[in-house]
Amino acid sequence: MTNSLDAYLVLSGLLFAIGSFGFLARRNAISMLMSIELMLNAVNLAIVAFGSFVDRLRPNASVIALMVIAVAAAEATVGLAIVIAIYRNRRTPLVDEYDSLRQ
Amino acid sequence: MSGQDLLTISPLIAAILVAVAVLIVDLIAPGRREPALATALLGLGIVAILTAVAGRTPGQAFGGSYTVDALTTFLDLLFISIVALTIAFAPDYLEPRDLPIAEFAAVLVFALTGAMLIAASTDLLVLFLALELMVLPGYLLAAYAKHDSLSTEGAIKYFLLGSFSSAIFLFGLAYVWGLTGSTRVADVAAELGKIASGGPALAPGLALGLAFMTTGVAFKIAAVPFHYWTPDAYQGSPTPVTGYLSVGPKVGAFALILRLFVGALGSLRGDWLDVVIVLAALTMTLGNLVALTQNNVKRMLAYSSIAHTGYMLVGLAAYAGGRQEGLQGLLYYGAAYTFMNLGAFAVVAALQRRPGVTSSLDTFAGLGRREPLLGILMTLFLLSLTGIPPTAGFFGKAYVILAAVQAGGPLTILAVIAMLNAAAAAFYYLRVVVYMFMREPATEGEPQRHGNLVWAGLWTTSVLTILLGLIPAPLLSVVSDAARALGS
Repeated sequence: MTNSLDAYLVLSGLLFAIGSFGFLARRNAISMLMSIELMLNAVNLAIVAFGSFVDRLRPNASVIALMVIAVAAAEATVGLAIVIAIYRNRRTPLVDEYDSLRQ
Repeated sequence: MSGQDLLTISPLIAAILVAVAVLIVDLIAPGRREPALATALLGLGIVAILTAVAGRTPGQAFGGSYTVDALTTFLDLLFISIVALTIAFAPDYLEPRDLPIAEFAAVLVFALTGAMLIAASTDLLVLFLALELMVLPGYLLAAYAKHDSLSTEGAIKYFLLGSFSSAIFLFGLAYVWGLTGSTRVADVAAELGKIASGGPALAPGLALGLAFMTTGVAFKIAAVPFHYWTPDAYQGSPTPVTGYLSVGPKVGAFALILRLFVGALGSLRGDWLDVVIVLAALTMTLGNLVALTQNNVKRMLAYSSIAHTGYMLVGLAAYAGGRQEGLQGLLYYGAAYTFMNLGAFAVVAALQRRPGVTSSLDTFAGLGRREPLLGILMTLFLLSLTGIPPTAGFFGKAYVILAAVQAGGPLTILAVIAMLNAAAAAFYYLRVVVYMFMREPATEGEPQRHGNLVWAGLWTTSVLTILLGLIPAPLLSVVSDAARALGS
């Protein structure tokens, strides 16, 4: 199944799974942000693969992919700002230690 | 893009201009709150008028990706009132804590543009962009008290799980688009209609895409078991923000459900009926059970908002079970919940006017004697949240439960669960009333002065809470028009 739509979709699914695993397993806020970026890029890979293998999807694919890139950038900006704000308050990036609300 | 298209989206453009205008006014008169507040509230009034005018000529713009119909108008006006009320309640809480009000109003109006875009979009990609446009300002607002470690802690939990769910939703969206060949909701509905009417079988990839989209949306409305972020995000955020988060993004996510699930997946509704029933039952029950054990009023209201999501899902389940009335009930509940819940949070925010006052239950002890009016209004909102007639909350619950009973089958059981839950919820709502009127405070506090805007907002929410309970017919006719616009 080399160079077929399925191959790219499997790769994208794997990347997405790795991203989700990273998000759930990592305890560092920055690593969790990176995992989310990985998931979004996996989605982008799927979108571009659909566009390049299915003719009727081609006109839309690049537009959607660009939009996703823009949204990912906006999300990263807001996310990093929040991480910096909480780091200044707590002096740690580890989400396990953000537990004062549960007490 | 034509001139007609621009005219159709004029409310949206106006909302963006209002947000920019607030920022400019703050630049000209830095640190003064009156000009910024006046600009924001007047601007929202203009946006509301434009929305009502645009709603008179239903139609589509941008090749069918933007739709103006009765549902758009109803939801837009609801979003505008949510944002206007939140701006009215905010100064009392923000000012003593030295938090700027102009940026608050501007970010809130930017979130409004996202919510308004959700209500009008009939295109998967536009829906996703609108969703992000609504939630990104929400993350910023949750972290608004950036030197307060609780606010930033709530915000990072909200942000991390929010963007995780956005990524899941987007993954589903990519597959639905790739396998149906279009991002237009109408085209996706047509493709899925072929499958529903016995055409080709549902492709595994498409089923996967739909499942991922459902999961993403369930996170956004905080349905159990996707609710873990809610209590922390709500408790940590500054109180006016919590009030906004508990209604704005929630009604916005329900608007997304209406546009996406009802609009595109309507033909497959028999297939997602079971999922919605299970989600609704779990969400109501767990939300209420955990709320019973809370001693912090903000956290209690957070769990209660999860339970209210469950009641709204009962309306969606009734629709999936074949009753159009379910959608009417859902929309009516959305409006009723908006006003009573915003009102309740406004009282909490007013109580926290003095910095350092927490939202623990003890704060409410003796409030009925110290500030009788505030105590009576809080009682009204809590009674409405419980669902006691003649308040808005009663009719909201009555309509969704009635629709579920009419749909019959497994939905009858769901209706019974909903009623049992409403009875259990009375315990924790009325506990606050007991504290306000029958407990002596540990330390006698001074009655506090509250701004005129806060009173105006409190009167608006309380009058609407009572009016929607006494004469439900006008709103009912509006929501039935809105539900009909969505198709059957």
